Amino acid sequence: MRDVYVAGIGITSFTRLEYPLSEIAAYPSMLAMRDAGLNEIDHLYLANMGSARVNHQTGLGSAVVDSLSLTPAGAAVVENGPASGASAIKAGFAAVASGMHNVVLVAGAERMREVDNLEATDFIATLTHPLVEYIYGVTLPAHAAMFTRLYMEKYGVTERHLAMVAVKNHANAMLNEYAHLHQPITIEGILDSPEAMTNNPYVAEPLRFFDVCPVSDGGAAIILVTEEVAKSLGQPLIKLAGIGQATDTHAVHEREEPTDLLAVRKAAAMSFEMAGLTPVDVNVAELHDAFTILEIVESEEVGFFPKGEGHLALEKGETEIAGRIPINPSGGLKGKGHPVGATGVGQAHEIVTQLRGVAGERQVEGARIGFTCNFGGFGNNVVCLTFVRED
Amino acid sequence: MSVDLEKILRPIDTPMAAFEAKFMTLANGAPMVIRQIERDEIPDVLAHLEPLLHVERDMYDVVCARIYSELLAHYRHRAQDEYVLVAQIDGELAAVVNGRQITPARGMSLHTIALRRGLRVGAHAFAAKMEYHIDVLGHDEVLIVAEGPIGFRRWMIEYQLEKRFDTPHELGGVPSWALTKELFDRARSDLVVGRRPVPAHLLGKAQEKILPPSDPPKPAADLLAATRSMYDSTGSVLMSQRWRQEPGVERA
Amino acid sequence: MAREIYAYECRNCGQAHYPFRMRCKNCGQNGFFEFDAVPLPRNGRLLTFTKVHNLAGDFDVATLTLGIVELENGLRCTGQLQMDQPHIGMSVVGSVEIVRRSTYDEFYGMVFRAA
Repeated sequence: MRDVYVAGIGITSFTRLEYPLSEIAAYPSMLAMRDAGLNEIDHLYLANMGSARVNHQTGLGSAVVDSLSLTPAGAAVVENGPASGASAIKAGFAAVASGMHNVVLVAGAERMREVDNLEATDFIATLTHPLVEYIYGVTLPAHAAMFTRLYMEKYGVTERHLAMVAVKNHANAMLNEYAHLHQPITIEGILDSPEAMTNNPYVAEPLRFFDVCPVSDGGAAIILVTEEVAKSLGQPLIKLAGIGQATDTHAVHEREEPTDLLAVRKAAAMSFEMAGLTPVDVNVAELHDAFTILEIVESEEVGFFPKGEGHLALEKGETEIAGRIPINPSGGLKGKGHPVGATGVGQAHEIVTQLRGVAGERQVEGARIGFTCNFGGFGNNVVCLTFVRED
Repeated sequence: MSVDLEKILRPIDTPMAAFEAKFMTLANGAPMVIRQIERDEIPDVLAHLEPLLHVERDMYDVVCARIYSELLAHYRHRAQDEYVLVAQIDGELAAVVNGRQITPARGMSLHTIALRRGLRVGAHAFAAKMEYHIDVLGHDEVLIVAEGPIGFRRWMIEYQLEKRFDTPHELGGVPSWALTKELFDRARSDLVVGRRPVPAHLLGKAQEKILPPSDPPKPAADLLAATRSMYDSTGSVLMSQRWRQEPGVERA
Repeated sequence: MAREIYAYECRNCGQAHYPFRMRCKNCGQNGFFEFDAVPLPRNGRLLTFTKVHNLAGDFDVATLTLGIVELENGLRCTGQLQMDQPHIGMSVVGSVEIVRRSTYDEFYGMVFRAA
């Protein structure tokens, strides 16, 4: 396998966007090409989950290639639920590493807000098992809530810990000009004050309004190239050094150990092994916090903290931007937003920005090794990426 | 002559008990004051509402147009037994709610409009309105309708209102739902939030002046934005102008 | 006719599956549907639960209580809960009833009540 490097990145605001979905994909792609200084690509992998159902459009990859006047480059859409982004990056990596292509554009885009919240909730619920979960009205928040209850029972995580994740990520998002939410929140406002139940009502008990990420539109893009092309472009040399992926049972009730996220554990281990690194080497990470509980659990399963102790590290401030292992400096899904297809690519965008040293106020000092975890379904398909700055 | 005519045209308001101001802490830790206003403060509110007439999403334009006319009618003495409550954050207008008393036993909730998103301001303001009808004015029930899906989900489904489909609501004559005293009492712990009395400095700031909202919902860059993406591919020049406002443009 | 929900036992090794699988997850047997349909037992223990407030459009109730139950034969089942105070570890008994309606379809599933 050849080594694969990042040549350029681009991103839109994650917010409510009133543009056609193909433009939400094409705009950051154009930014990435400008960033890289490239005018041609060999292939586009486009990560997206809802184009057919929410936006009434199919064949989106082909549409975007044309919108960018990049025909006759090849194109395909990659759909892996919320892990579409990292899956598309994996596909792009394989295309370059195998020798098939030299320059691959990977973009992610989603326009959820074309429909109302009820429709969006149901659309995301289609990730659940149609015969043994969906029929009961199970939604992703319901899964996360049942999982949270078990975690609270077994490891002593409390609603306060969940609130701390939300407060941290909202504060980080304030430093991110692309983030969906620019709204600082306080523990007092969402948990302690007498009015907290109205400020922060239950969505699926024990998860509350501020434990769940917003519904966002947005797009992000990253260009993967060979070592030769990367060096010729004069950008900081950032290698996509490790990729790991693992699946788990579709029906959440069939998971071996109800409090484990085995797919996260395996995907992370695979990613570190491929990169020849360990969790201790990581300087900055973007973990998939669609629900605040997930940031805590993923931080354990990928290996930053022992199982069941993620919330203790959170209490000590170890995951703040200035902490030992900063998690979600961008604001994470909670603060930055979660346009489903774009998220995985957005996480990669943030890590590359950090490794380049251009993250402004949210810069993690001396970041050289970055890690992302993109969580599909409710943990039945997880893709982890490891990036290394080489120069 | 004109003075006599005004006597005929102007409705005579039934005396209604006053809403005692209250305050609550929002998700961002800031306090919000909800208080009743009289006619003299309505012109300020109207000025702050006006820009929302052009925000199409989430039914802001319809709600704003209707509440604007209701407030104006109240101001000009052409509406009977109407009340207005405002929510203020550091003096800035955050929400407006209004309604009417139809009979001493029945109220009609008119509108709720939030000028600050993301902090559940609308939920607080609506609850204050229900408290006013049932606890303060002593109504047995309040008639309610929702213009948009957000309102419908929050009020009809969450509070499990009773259908009163035989009773047309003043808003466009559509079938109403009712919040009865019984339902209100059941949901009291969730609905009646906020504390009294309001600390003097907070109340003073709120009463001093109703300030314009610093981050209100804004209209899209052009009027066609909401529809263009689905049906109309022209106007792309306007869209590309808006793309220029994206944060990444300078550095690209 | 009382309805049942079925688990699928591999004819080769006896491994039970719920939901259905194309290949046995234990022995990998991939004969054409070499599974026996066996009704799920009704008694079990509640593993976890939640009360959902934000539901999809075709539910006209305000909230729904859902849970995961470990049945007496070791299989686990997701279902709706009809009880006031669910708690982890409580004994429950299930019955197959309509759990969701959408336009013209009725979906049957497990509803658990306190045993």
